[in-house]
Amino acid sequence: MVLTASRPANMWGVTIGAGDRLYLPQIAIIEDIIDETPDTKTFKLRFEDEEFAKAFKWEPGQFVELTVFGAGEAPIGFASSPLEKSFFELTVVNRGKVTGAMHLLPKGAKVGIRGPLGNCWPLEQIKGMDVLVISGGCGLAPLRPAILYILANRNDYGEFWLLYGARTPADRDFKYDLAEWAKRDDFHVLETVDVGDESWTGNVGVVTTLLPHVKINPANAVALTCGPPIMIKFTTIELMKMGFSEDRVVTSLERYMKCGVGKCGHCCINHVYICTEGPVFTYADMKKLPELGL
Amino acid sequence: MKVGDTYILAKTDLPMFFAAIGHEMRLIAPRAFFGGDVIFDIVESPKEIVWNYGHDIYPPKRFLLPHYEDMFRYTTGDDVRIEPLPAPPKQAIVGIRSCDVSAIRFQERFFGDQIDDPYYRARSENTVLFSIVCNKPPKRECFCICCDSGPYLESGFDVQLTDLGDRYLYEIGSEKGEQATQLGAFMLKPAEPKDTAERKRIELQADSLFQTVAYMAKAIMFVSEDQVPAQVWEELGSTCFRCGACTNLCPVCTCFTVEDRPEPNGCFTRCRSWDSCQFSGFTREASGHNPRPTFGTRVQRRFYHKASYQYILRDGRHGCVGCGRCVSACLTKLDLPSVVKRIRRAMHKYLQPQPASPNSS
Amino acid sequence: MVDKPTICGFCSCGCALYVEPAGSRVAALCPSTNHPVSTGRLCFKGWNAIPGLMGADRLRAPLIRKGESLESVSWDEALSYAASNLKRIISTSGSNSVGVIGSGKLTNEECYSLVKFARQVIGTPNIDGTSRFYDASMVPALLETIGLAASQVDLDSVARAGSMLVVGANVMEQLAHVGSRIQDAVEFGCKVVAADPRVSRIAPQASLFLHPIPGADLIWLRALLKTIIDNGLYVETATEIAGFNDLRDSLKDVSVKQLVGECGVDAEEVRQAAEILSNNPPVVVMFGLGVLQQAGASDLVKALANVAMLLGGSVMPLRGQNNAQGACDMGLATEYLPGCVPISDEQARQRWESVWNCKLTETPGMNAAEMIRACASGDIKALMVFGDNLVLSAPNSESAVAALEKLEFLVVSELYLTETAQIANLVLPACSFLEKDGTFTNIERRVQRVRKIFEPIGDSKSDLAIISLISRLLGFELSDDPETVTREISLNIPQYSEVSYLSLESDWGKPWPIDGVKAAMCPVESILQAEDPDYPLRLISSRIHYHQQTGTICARTSILAREYPESFAEMNEREAEKRGLKAGRHVTISSKFGSLTRMLILSDAVPEGCVHVPHFFGGDSSNMLASQECDSKSKTPVYKAIAVKVEAAK
Repeated sequence: MVLTASRPANMWGVTIGAGDRLYLPQIAIIEDIIDETPDTKTFKLRFEDEEFAKAFKWEPGQFVELTVFGAGEAPIGFASSPLEKSFFELTVVNRGKVTGAMHLLPKGAKVGIRGPLGNCWPLEQIKGMDVLVISGGCGLAPLRPAILYILANRNDYGEFWLLYGARTPADRDFKYDLAEWAKRDDFHVLETVDVGDESWTGNVGVVTTLLPHVKINPANAVALTCGPPIMIKFTTIELMKMGFSEDRVVTSLERYMKCGVGKCGHCCINHVYICTEGPVFTYADMKKLPELGL
Repeated sequence: MKVGDTYILAKTDLPMFFAAIGHEMRLIAPRAFFGGDVIFDIVESPKEIVWNYGHDIYPPKRFLLPHYEDMFRYTTGDDVRIEPLPAPPKQAIVGIRSCDVSAIRFQERFFGDQIDDPYYRARSENTVLFSIVCNKPPKRECFCICCDSGPYLESGFDVQLTDLGDRYLYEIGSEKGEQATQLGAFMLKPAEPKDTAERKRIELQADSLFQTVAYMAKAIMFVSEDQVPAQVWEELGSTCFRCGACTNLCPVCTCFTVEDRPEPNGCFTRCRSWDSCQFSGFTREASGHNPRPTFGTRVQRRFYHKASYQYILRDGRHGCVGCGRCVSACLTKLDLPSVVKRIRRAMHKYLQPQPASPNSS
Repeated sequence: MVDKPTICGFCSCGCALYVEPAGSRVAALCPSTNHPVSTGRLCFKGWNAIPGLMGADRLRAPLIRKGESLESVSWDEALSYAASNLKRIISTSGSNSVGVIGSGKLTNEECYSLVKFARQVIGTPNIDGTSRFYDASMVPALLETIGLAASQVDLDSVARAGSMLVVGANVMEQLAHVGSRIQDAVEFGCKVVAADPRVSRIAPQASLFLHPIPGADLIWLRALLKTIIDNGLYVETATEIAGFNDLRDSLKDVSVKQLVGECGVDAEEVRQAAEILSNNPPVVVMFGLGVLQQAGASDLVKALANVAMLLGGSVMPLRGQNNAQGACDMGLATEYLPGCVPISDEQARQRWESVWNCKLTETPGMNAAEMIRACASGDIKALMVFGDNLVLSAPNSESAVAALEKLEFLVVSELYLTETAQIANLVLPACSFLEKDGTFTNIERRVQRVRKIFEPIGDSKSDLAIISLISRLLGFELSDDPETVTREISLNIPQYSEVSYLSLESDWGKPWPIDGVKAAMCPVESILQAEDPDYPLRLISSRIHYHQQTGTICARTSILAREYPESFAEMNEREAEKRGLKAGRHVTISSKFGSLTRMLILSDAVPEGCVHVPHFFGGDSSNMLASQECDSKSKTPVYKAIAVKVEAAK
């Protein structure tokens, strides 16, 4: 079976985004804020309108356009479990105008949400396969919903590995989850950092240095990757060497986005809009886009 | 009156006909401004309409995709409220040409593709186009014959007018056109065979009068196959002034940026405005990484969007209607006909003929 | 709906454009197709920066400093506050303790009224404009040579030039229409000789691109003049121009042997340049801030004018501000009267004394740079600034702020709360060119009609209205009606005698006439360049595409600001290696007068021995490195070719 990225059942949501409301955000309230790293926070959000909240369904890999009122809009991927109905989480790195303004908001503040947008990790298609998740830095956030989904449906999948590389131990996202996951027998979690500190006893080096430790059957496995472009590039080279076929390496591409619905043109790579036909792509599909230079 | 019908509208009846249309909807037509400038704008009376204009720089696409468009307003603070803005008014764009009509149809298809853009839909539903056939190319820079978008259309128009001297041939091409025609139907007479014959004669003659051509086939091939070397693109980009005129004036271009604009009373208005892939900030990410860091990569992007198989398949036509505005508006020579020619000629240098195999018999 | 066109207020090209208002926001805009400059095209700023003039933080009411903060007040309170302070300072310290600084952004009517306000109403000779920080150095030099402080040709002539000498001008990035005409000319065979220390975007058009050492231009220009004269490459009629022999004699000491070591241009290149220009008439000589902001700028301008005259060609000085030419023509300079006539000219002085019914000094007062220093010394106690962010355009912002803070009374008329407005005692909300009527004079000397499109934002007023209101409280009637002032201008300034609103209703405007102007060549002596071992590198400062002047408007236009998110400095790879500097790290660039920090990028477009520091928004500009002292001959501050050192930032 040639793997392609999945299209979620409800591409642009049930009530949000359909018809006249396509560009109008839905109000959500910040219920909790978790400091992940010095420049990253996870915001737990709940929709103000309960009816809407009940109807809101999304799939791992999708994202929303987050409005910080007074600052603007930015695309942020879902970072929580899709099975959780009463809230969802967004992990926001403080990098620009909108994300900077988001970091200043307190609990109880109201933000705007448009979504769910984009396509999703092909979690249905890969049932029965070994799953190797490789992430770097803030790339763990878009993969976290996939990880939580797989863990909740553990028997549907084969061997399950997570390789995670961060710059320093303090820069790791979801430290609480990593600690819990490391305790599991059915989930192999390997971590590495570029630069260690006094307390770090784990691997030091780039994430590809963890690959030799992975025991997986490439003929029936899929790699889900997300991280800085250079990490993806070198990881993919190693995965090819390990015997992964091009359609079994899946990544989430990042691009500057504005509308999130395939109209404004910013996220276009060749003839493909990342916000509607992505952000999840297989390496095979990415090779069809000359602009990526693969 | 139905789609496919052809009528005659006497030139003397033109003002009254459009006055009747103007009762029900606002009229947008070419208007004369200072120093001979002609711009599509709201006209108060049909008498202001300039029927035989040459250059008009500002495309009528702005009445469907405004240059600066307010999307909605919101208040901030504890009680955040989002206020959508009122629906756009009904409008008739009169005197628009086949190239611009083709472009609007392209944009309607684009904005409705996969998911519907509600602002564009609201405006396009409320817009009827009374287009006019070009008996001769209005300016030297026109090349619609190279793009299947003029000088007359066989389909895709609402109402198409052809100047037959003392009268106009009046063709209804869509339901919207049909409905709008009801307003002035009493002034129309059925067309006769001599009218359609005259129209045919005009069509055949018009094609031969074009001065600018863009032979696109080879350029489309090279661009689609990603065969044009980076050096060629960089050479093209080395003279670009980065003004964004090409994308602003192109009736096909649709890219926009979105900004939250503060208002004096403390509210904010989310506004979208024309953006251009020719700006370096168009793709620069928050981290500072820019997938299109050079002028050459951005020029390459624009021509990929204008002339590649991939987009032709996706959009139903290539991204150029030959209106010639980029030729007039570019401060250097990065208009489509010039670039297409330069790509073809540059590729001569790079595509060497393959030597025959020494063993061939 | 769109109405009548107006003239763009960014650069001196002066394109005509249409703007559609929707309340106080810009709904649509497009160029004029038939306008002789715009010809259906606009530059990056014309297309994108117009909304930056109507931003949400536009000043809407006058502000008076009360303690540490500025508070909104009514116009009545603001004006009486201004009048009472001015009266007090004039009576206790004399009129000469008041300074007035205008700007090349204002309309002709506003510049003229401001000059009249300073000289007649206040009675001070300390009236000057922002040209002082940009192009004022060209005025006396051009008056002495070609006989007029303006371009001799229009843009059409540029497009038809046979060859060009373009020195020290980033024309492709800052004056798009001039650049576009240069490209047109090249397409038809024009040969461009460009000179700039670094490789700039004119490179694709240049047949010969010279890269002189910053600050050494006079050396190769004298060599060029000598080559033209010695090899008989001048036109026959050149010998008939007054001063030809004096020029030839002044070049006797030029030796081409050591040329390249001294100035970075070798004898062969000079010879080629001379031949290209001589063999391809008509010649247009252009120069920009790269020449005008240097030490010894007036000698450079004279040398360049001499080149043009020897070759029978024309000069087009590249002034950047939209109405720099108009401001110059209106006499917005302490040493000139309207019509750009020196104040030392007794006849002119008497005539203006009679037109304005006031006494005028024989000698110039203080220029803008001198006024700032006089603020520090206490000789100037009140300063009025119209339309310029002085703190950022003046050399060495820190010293400028310190000086201005010593003032008893600083009045600033501005669109936004700029760095200068923030330290003022009184801030008056002015309106932009979109909100008023008047005329601008573009680089072609074309006087064009500015038309009001928007109602002034909030309670802002045109500078013309502000000048009129303050004058009335000081006992003088200066008209607030632009047309009335235009009439007074056309009656009294000969070059503007044909200008009228009536004619501008049916005409785009014509360049003012230049017949009967006498040209003369000037001798050009050499200047000794001082070397400073502590500061071994030379500064190349520039303005990149998206940035204009102090960047007040550009920073507020999201599309422009998006293009230029981070500042940087550029150095040659080998030079950086020699000094142990790495790309991507921060470096500190310092001169004897100041320092700034930038992230370093390596580029071979920058020669060895230099560092390229483009201006950035928010005052992060190489002006920090300049001295407050003016060049003795040109009387303008020196911003270019400053001796600097570059070290890794701590």
